[in-house]
Amino acid sequence: MLSLNNVEVVYDRVFLAIKGVSLEVPEGGMVALLGANGAGKSTTLKTISGLLKPERGEVTRGEVWFKGQNIAGLPAPERVRLGIAHVLEGRRVFEHLTPDENLVAATSMHRDRRRIGALKEMVYDYFPRLKERRSVKAGYLSGGEQQMLAIGRALMTEPKLLMLDEPSLGLAPYLVEEIFGIIQRLHRDGVGILLVEQNAAAALDVVTDAYLIENGRVVMSGKAEALKQNPDIQEFYLGGSGKKDYHAVKHYRRRKRWLA
Amino acid sequence: MDVVYFIELAVNGALVGLMYALVALGIVLVFKSSGVANLAQGALAMVGAYVVWWLGSATGAPLWAVIPLGVIAMFFFGRGLERVALRRMVGQPVIMIIMLTLGLEILLRGLAPALWGTLLKRMDIGISQQPLFLGDILVNRAYLVGGAVALVLIALSLLFFNSRQGVVLRAVSDDQIAAWAVGIRVERAISLSWGFAGIAATAAGVLWGSVQGIDWTLSLLLIKALAVAILGGLDSIAGVLVAGIAVGVLESVIPGYVDPLVGGGTRDVVASAVILLTILVRPFGLFGREQIERI
Repeated sequence: MLSLNNVEVVYDRVFLAIKGVSLEVPEGGMVALLGANGAGKSTTLKTISGLLKPERGEVTRGEVWFKGQNIAGLPAPERVRLGIAHVLEGRRVFEHLTPDENLVAATSMHRDRRRIGALKEMVYDYFPRLKERRSVKAGYLSGGEQQMLAIGRALMTEPKLLMLDEPSLGLAPYLVEEIFGIIQRLHRDGVGILLVEQNAAAALDVVTDAYLIENGRVVMSGKAEALKQNPDIQEFYLGGSGKKDYHAVKHYRRRKRWLA
Repeated sequence: MDVVYFIELAVNGALVGLMYALVALGIVLVFKSSGVANLAQGALAMVGAYVVWWLGSATGAPLWAVIPLGVIAMFFFGRGLERVALRRMVGQPVIMIIMLTLGLEILLRGLAPALWGTLLKRMDIGISQQPLFLGDILVNRAYLVGGAVALVLIALSLLFFNSRQGVVLRAVSDDQIAAWAVGIRVERAISLSWGFAGIAATAAGVLWGSVQGIDWTLSLLLIKALAVAILGGLDSIAGVLVAGIAVGVLESVIPGYVDPLVGGGTRDVVASAVILLTILVRPFGLFGREQIERI
């Protein structure tokens, strides 16, 4: 459904943020993009959703294909109409609007009022808690509720590909579990998911495939099961494998070897 | 103290205030949907008045008949300003954008008289000059019509911002990037708000033009409108209504009593004092939205 082909992004004409990223999300697939801070995960998502321009970023090489169409030149609102929804990092709900209005604001592509009503019911079905708080200003919702609202708002655009940027950021563990549960449910309902996470352990438990990105390059990719077994991933992203005998630790710690 | 004199000052002041509110409405509409302080609104009102006058004198039709044409023209003029000047500024610091709108104000102030001549133009839109007595109170008919038009336009704006398109505009002012991400055509939304600013400006310009004639001084309405917009809270339409009446009444009552003592000229001080005091005491105005901080 989505494929990035050797994409290179430059900010401010000087800063090379991603250097030849290629990745693929199959129809209805569930893919994670993992990596440390500043690795280029968010930039990759913005490349797909077309949100680079306000940050003075530019795709200087490569292609972005979505459903057989090269979308690299399309403005962001048109990509949303094609079925790409991007849930931004840090939630970014419309704070002075109520949850209800937040959902309505995301329906500028729909003409049919009944359709909007039905979509709203669907979102409230996924997130019953939002329905209870539908007329409070969104800025006063809790972090978890805001994240739910951000996802619900994206669902109003009827996405075929839902991209989530750090949905677990700053949330209590039980909320992370709840959010991931909902993401899995969305996936079962046929929405393609591209998940960006620093919390690699949680992400690898739910996705089928994953890409590991570092310094703007994809350094590893494969089935989630296989990646979970990889000793490097375990060491650097899953917090080591079991106990360590610190007497036996050598001075030169094992280095990440995939760049060699 | 003469009660009738006071009421008369207050009523006429309130009506004038409503007409200020009409100019301020354009500032609020733009701020509410794009977060840009529109300092070109005074000049927009002036251009609106000139355009209606010009349409009237060019076609020979009565002015009230060409007003709708002028309103439509100014709707597109507002959108054009956005398209030509402001859209390039997306992502630039706010101060640059404010300076740009101020520059537009100054440019238009010079350009309109250059195009249409500097002589004061009479604008007769068919409001009778006959005095109107409500009980003992003398009311200026032009002000009464102006106040009514202002009320209607303010009510329409209130309705609009609760409609779906209005919610979209409010979303844009909250977070432009998030608005893009959910498929809102942000540029189009902002352009629409400038179009509405053009409409409000034309209504205000024509009404004021019919009172004081048309020349560049019409654009000085900007100061009064700023006072109203700031007092009301830059993004509140209800605030425009209340603040407009408040500024109008103050501006009429205070000079009514103080002018004889100091020899005149206090009227213009009132608006400036309102701006200063509001910013010092309550920076977000009477009804402006507060910054949301969750604890």
